[in-house]
Amino acid sequence: MIDCDVHNQWPSAEALLPYLEPPFRDYLVRGEIPGPPGSFPHGHRPWLHPEGFKRSDVPAPEDGTTEDHYDALRAQLLDRYQVDYAILTGEEAIEVSTLANARYASALARAYNDWMIDEWLPRDGRLRGSLVVAPQDPRGAAKEIRRVGDHPGVVQVLMSTGSERPYGDPFYDPLWEAAAELELPVAAHLGGQGGINANPTGCGPPTFFWEAHALFSETGMGHVASVIAHGIFERFPNVRFVLIECGVAWLPALLWRLDADYKALRKETPWLTRLPSEYAREHIRLTTQPLEQPQNKRHLWAVLEAMSGGEVLLFASDYPHWDFDDPTTIQLPETWEGDVFDGNARDLYRLPAAAGTASAGEG
Amino acid sequence: MSGGRFRVCEANELAPGQRLVVDLGGRSVGVFNVEGSFYALHNRCPHRGGALCLGPVTGVTRSTDDFEYVYADEGRILRCAWHGWEFEIETGRSLADPKLKAKTFPVTVEDGEVIVHI
Repeated sequence: MIDCDVHNQWPSAEALLPYLEPPFRDYLVRGEIPGPPGSFPHGHRPWLHPEGFKRSDVPAPEDGTTEDHYDALRAQLLDRYQVDYAILTGEEAIEVSTLANARYASALARAYNDWMIDEWLPRDGRLRGSLVVAPQDPRGAAKEIRRVGDHPGVVQVLMSTGSERPYGDPFYDPLWEAAAELELPVAAHLGGQGGINANPTGCGPPTFFWEAHALFSETGMGHVASVIAHGIFERFPNVRFVLIECGVAWLPALLWRLDADYKALRKETPWLTRLPSEYAREHIRLTTQPLEQPQNKRHLWAVLEAMSGGEVLLFASDYPHWDFDDPTTIQLPETWEGDVFDGNARDLYRLPAAAGTASAGEG
Repeated sequence: MSGGRFRVCEANELAPGQRLVVDLGGRSVGVFNVEGSFYALHNRCPHRGGALCLGPVTGVTRSTDDFEYVYADEGRILRCAWHGWEFEIETGRSLADPKLKAKTFPVTVEDGEVIVHI
């Protein structure tokens, strides 16, 4: 089994200090931060989770060392569910996308990447890393992808779904070019809903956390339409786009609408050669968590079939967050389990057939 | 797993507001002292199997007709460690879904000892 959204905690953002270049180390030591010492510099979202966003049976960041957090992750996730590979997605690192100072944002991303490569990947052969970049600095992001994108433990480029503009925009071309050159998938994880980034809902900000959380998937929809319409997959046919934690059941409805509108107005995007749904099926992958939970699972399965779920879905638990999906209780059609829990991610991230001490189970 | 009578602790070892999570015959059980009364719940959430009894003990915003916040039942609500679903410690009743109930076990205090009956 491969878990495609696993958050590796730090004890405090000060873990990055040894990895920051001097001017930005000074900025983090002496500069303003949004919280007590150890807080990570970012523009916070306007919705405050009423309970904190971690499972309460997981040590809080400040209550453990990086090793303690790894030990918890190993016991509560890797060993408990016999995970072959866990794709690390950082904790707050993707929030660099919210900072107006794009150079500081890129410096923090570089420091996170070096910390992750030094302090996480060597701990366990089952861990793989995501390279965090600051999308508001596309040239800096490209440079970072070329700097460490060929590390054998790095399997994708990662940024938040919160963004200044949707990711197909030519503004981001340097980032896509670099990812294509290194043959790395580009992933967007739910987050970055603050600071310089656009409101996640077009009609204005929601009020409550649970209301907002359910609607953050709207940012995923915007990126799907944008990367298809701008022809990212025509120009970079080897690139895959991965949406993490955005929900999945909305995808077929969006693709039906995109296909219909494209057929009528295709003259706007003459660089496209296929239907939006065809690009999506080949190039876009979505992680399952938090999988929608209708009263009748068959209602969900009908929708998942309409989006070729067996091909495009990647299992994710989101450990250690409050909306964790347990792989033994999420409901997927049995015939898909081998692909969704394992095969699709193994192909996408080009992972070997077996790893470490884990079994090659199918969940 | 086996049932029966399980001595958990001396009653005066578990003060009001405190809890113990113990293995009773192969079953993980949370024992709670709520204002001097003892309750026991299976440490397995009926929602998704999470570690129910490791979550925080809280109060709850009571349902109102007036769009206001009224905080009630402080110390009587258990919030699952995984997804935060709320349960009444005394009854196991789910506040989120009336069809769900956390498994509870009878508790007695005999000769100053807390006994859970499974």
